[in-house]
Amino acid sequence: MTDPILQTTDLTKEFGNLVAVDDVNLEVEQGEFRSLIGPNGAGKTTTFNLLTGALRPTHGTVTFNGEDVTGLPPHQRVRRGLGRSFQITNVFSGLTVRENVRLAAQAAREGGFKPVEEFLQRATSFDDVNEHTDRVLDRSGLLGRGDEPADVLAYGDKRRLEIAIVLATDPDMVLLDEPTAGMSAEETRATMDLIDEVLSDRTLLLIEHDIDLVMRVSDRITVLHRGAVLAEGTPDAVSEDPDVREAYFGGVEA
Amino acid sequence: MSVASAVAEQVLNGLVVGMVYVLLAAGLSIIFGVMDVINFAHGELFALGAYFAFAIAGPLGGAGFWVALVVAPLLVGVIGMAIERLTVKRLYGRDPLYHILLTFGLVLIINDLITSVWGKSAQPFPIPSVLDQPVALFGFNYSLYNYGIIIFGSALALGTWLLLNRTRFGMIIRAGSEDREMVRNLGINIDRYYTLTFGFGAALAGVAGIVLGAYQNVSPTMGSSVIIPAFVIVVLGGLGSFRGAVVGGLFVGLVQTFARTYTPFLEGLIVFLLMIAVLVVRPTGLFGTSIGGGEHHDGALLHGSGGGVLSSETRAKIGYAAVGVLVVVPFFAELTGVTYSVTLLEDILIWALFALSLDLVLGYAGLVSLGHTLFYGVGAYASVLTLMHVSPSVLVALLVAVAVCAAIAWGVGYLSIRVSGVFFAMITLGFAELFYNAVFKFDFTGGSDGLFGVDVFYGLAGLGIDPREFEVPLGVFTLDGGIVQYYFLLAVVVGSYLLARRLIRAPFGTVLQSIRESEERASFIGYDVTAYKRRAFVVSGGLAGLAGGLFAANNGYVAPSFLHWINSGEVIVMTVLGGMGTLYGPMLGAGVFVAAEDILSSYIEQWQLVIGVLFVLFVIFVPRGLVSLPQTVAEHPMVGPVIRDRTGVKEAEVEQHD
Repeated sequence: MTDPILQTTDLTKEFGNLVAVDDVNLEVEQGEFRSLIGPNGAGKTTTFNLLTGALRPTHGTVTFNGEDVTGLPPHQRVRRGLGRSFQITNVFSGLTVRENVRLAAQAAREGGFKPVEEFLQRATSFDDVNEHTDRVLDRSGLLGRGDEPADVLAYGDKRRLEIAIVLATDPDMVLLDEPTAGMSAEETRATMDLIDEVLSDRTLLLIEHDIDLVMRVSDRITVLHRGAVLAEGTPDAVSEDPDVREAYFGGVEA
Repeated sequence: MSVASAVAEQVLNGLVVGMVYVLLAAGLSIIFGVMDVINFAHGELFALGAYFAFAIAGPLGGAGFWVALVVAPLLVGVIGMAIERLTVKRLYGRDPLYHILLTFGLVLIINDLITSVWGKSAQPFPIPSVLDQPVALFGFNYSLYNYGIIIFGSALALGTWLLLNRTRFGMIIRAGSEDREMVRNLGINIDRYYTLTFGFGAALAGVAGIVLGAYQNVSPTMGSSVIIPAFVIVVLGGLGSFRGAVVGGLFVGLVQTFARTYTPFLEGLIVFLLMIAVLVVRPTGLFGTSIGGGEHHDGALLHGSGGGVLSSETRAKIGYAAVGVLVVVPFFAELTGVTYSVTLLEDILIWALFALSLDLVLGYAGLVSLGHTLFYGVGAYASVLTLMHVSPSVLVALLVAVAVCAAIAWGVGYLSIRVSGVFFAMITLGFAELFYNAVFKFDFTGGSDGLFGVDVFYGLAGLGIDPREFEVPLGVFTLDGGIVQYYFLLAVVVGSYLLARRLIRAPFGTVLQSIRESEERASFIGYDVTAYKRRAFVVSGGLAGLAGGLFAANNGYVAPSFLHWINSGEVIVMTVLGGMGTLYGPMLGAGVFVAAEDILSSYIEQWQLVIGVLFVLFVIFVPRGLVSLPQTVAEHPMVGPVIRDRTGVKEAEVEQHD
């Protein structure tokens, strides 16, 4: 068995007396599509924020690609290949589609920029960045729309851009925060297809409360309950688990 | 007098000043806590209180003081309510920066009204004879009036606390400061409470003004001299914390009084050092609980979007034309004898550069630097000191100015950029005031006189032009040193603009723009947002230092007034007037502002009033600045269709852009 790409040990976050995340041990394998589910208040969002670096754990560690990243701020985790998408579409709305993607591609540029390049050369003059940008635009189906301002995009295209920005940071693993929250069944399917189409070769961790969706797409599922891991396994195994049925489905047939 | 009674007297003096501060800071803090408004006009409301009392008490004689003590604060309160209703109210939901700008305009208006009614000089405001006598207490004599201030101030502070914590009024405004919508949904007309709160805060300032006016005297500068310490107190105590305002006010009063007596060198410095120290250790202030409203405001900074109507070719042509005009003006001026226009243009160019530097942080990195004159002033000092002691070369002097200011910007940025929003604004203001007060203290900075009488050499190592000896006849014209100075300045400013444009178009600048759009997203695509902001601040500080250095080298002098906070305010005004977030907008704003100030001040005595009124209207109605006017006009329902028909823009496209 290869080393897991993402691992947490005894991850705990307390807010005052409230233990939001309680001794969570996660191991996500390379290439896996993992989902993290749980009822409201189970600690999904807190866990997500601990993984991205938006929050620091009270104790416990986060290891990514064999490196302890517990003390690293978000941008350094992103640079190491741990990307994330946003639940509410969060794009640079005053910039064009291409500029949005190029900014992410710039950040992921191999070797960074020399000071002269960083401060004095035109941002549009770097061939490698431009090629990378075009590849991402192409792959996410936005190639023809590069010059449109991001804020005039239709809702579906904004989601597309959202995913394109994540892809352009060239992540090994992407954390997806309820990417279909508030969507119709139609939009949900389109978004999941898009994720499948664009990010299928990356390791994915999906935070989600829509059980049907999770059952359909995941390789493995981790169920959180009151901040702790209640069960973990394949969709079939998890849906058969009596504890999960009791806690999550409230005893009702799923 | 024994040592003990000397100390006791200092303590009492400290408490007297402290009480005045408590009343001022309490009003400021309540207004900020409830409405997220940073009220720069609070000092002027304070002065108004003193002047109203002065006007009421004078004719009435003996009992007049007591009448004034009641009537004057009520009048100030009414004015405060009117200000809230007519101006402040329109800006709720926008970034707190716009309140700073608005109330800065109000400062100009109120201050000018005061000087036009009561004159420019300080006037004595006698305290009632009943109170004007010493009482012997604890073994020494002390003024009854001062005891009165302490007792009256304490009672008023206690009353305010009870009002906030024990009444329905207090409960509603405290709830409103937590969640405005929720209170509204409960069927309470929160807007009315806001008006009352603003009026109440203003009335407290009015009381403080009367108390201090009678303790010292009344003068038109009394407002601007207390507003900065009052801000320091509010920040020190914790924004929006009443307890913080009380403790901070008494503390600062005591510290100032003791410093004046025992460590005169630290007077004027110690308060700012304390504020910086507190904010570095505890950014929320002593009693602050959260990082303040600045983080959670709904509105963003509004940027000028000049690209809306004019194409980039058109704008480039306008740019070339502007530079072309600037190049030929000296010849035209000499032909017509209006040589003054060249001096005015030099002023405009320097302020344009200063505004450009500010815009790099304000418009591009979203950092509200309230103390940007720190860099302008330090640049001026560094340049004059270099010219005096190191080299007469203006190039060396400017290089030193830029380097020193960039280094200071790095230090200030290192300490302050991790705290954001309102706190960043306050820390930068604190640093600027620290340097302002410091230059008075040293011999090498020339104390209150500043430094003057430097000659400059435009060149390096003997190669170049000495403007005193330069004279070249050219047809009907004679080129002299003044021309050299002008063209050098023009070249530096145009060069700085081009450099800034390069920076903005380079990867560095695009990242700044992404931070402006969404800080969170920028950090989650892998950018160290804090580091980028710091770098922008360093570049900005360096350019502001260049502007200050140029002014000092051009005029051959520097004075403490270069570091006065009014400059910081004016440069923000120019930047917003022109349109922040564009490079040419602030420069245009500087041109309009300086020219308007120059023209108005030569025709009208109350020019500050006119500028203030114009500015207030501008902040409310054209927050995106002059550069947004073409687009605003084009989108106007009356004009829009005409232009659209003519240029053939499809209706649908325009709608999409809304």
